[in-house]
Amino acid sequence: MNKEIEKLLFNPIRLKTISFLMTVETCTFKKLLEITDSTKGNLSTQLKKLHEFGLIKIEKYFLKSYPTTDYSITKKGKKSFKEFYKQLISYK
Amino acid sequence: MTKEEQLKNINDAIKQTKTNLKPLGYNLVFWGVVIISMSLFHYFFPKIVQYSYYSSTIYWMTIPLLGMIYTTYYNIKSGIKIGYETQLDRVIKIIWGVFGFCWIFIVGISLSQNIIPTKDILFLLAVVLIMSGLIIKFNNITIGGFALLIFTGYTYFNPNLDLLLVNTIGICFGLLIPGLSLYLHKSDNLQ
Repeated sequence: MNKEIEKLLFNPIRLKTISFLMTVETCTFKKLLEITDSTKGNLSTQLKKLHEFGLIKIEKYFLKSYPTTDYSITKKGKKSFKEFYKQLISYK
Repeated sequence: MTKEEQLKNINDAIKQTKTNLKPLGYNLVFWGVVIISMSLFHYFFPKIVQYSYYSSTIYWMTIPLLGMIYTTYYNIKSGIKIGYETQLDRVIKIIWGVFGFCWIFIVGISLSQNIIPTKDILFLLAVVLIMSGLIIKFNNITIGGFALLIFTGYTYFNPNLDLLLVNTIGICFGLLIPGLSLYLHKSDNLQ
């Protein structure tokens, strides 16, 4: 498995985000804040890193004139998470 | 972070995913009440609904279209409130979206051919209810769908039945009662 991805998912906020996104189609920033139990600034930074590695997709649009952002996992993200989880289980 | 902590984080995040089926229950109850009220109003006050050649068509097209706009708004609003969409939510959304599209299609064809679309719409509704019930594993919806399917089949063999009463009874047992039981169901997560 890619060492960089392994290092990336070592962060609990990033790991919780990816884990949650594995089970849903799309998710809002507000919900991710609740799931990861982190601050807005910290979550934004971690989401940016996941996006830079191509693990998540960010969609920005306007809903009733308000800017809204949806997050979802990419194919690469799913594959990386599965490999990471497989590896984690094999250590047990 | 140890391996155990990592596994715990994964499990904690996954456990928070729930498919909230209350909005679906609300939609079914809403449409149940709307269609039954419309059918009964038409049945008891035919002179008002049929006062001109096109008035009953306008009556049966305008109110459901307004209902569609309202339920779309409600579903978007409840989706934002929940904050995420599961695969199951998406499947349900697609199924009922296709139903809405087919409803418009059937009504359009029946208008052009001058036929009453009640039986076809009830048949389509029964199929969609059965699919929804099986997908979300909620027996009352599945049973309601089958009851509606049998009832619709019965009306094909008895063409003299009053279609407004057929609508009322079929929607009551197929949509309203199962929808109410889903809406009042204690657990939000049936999967």
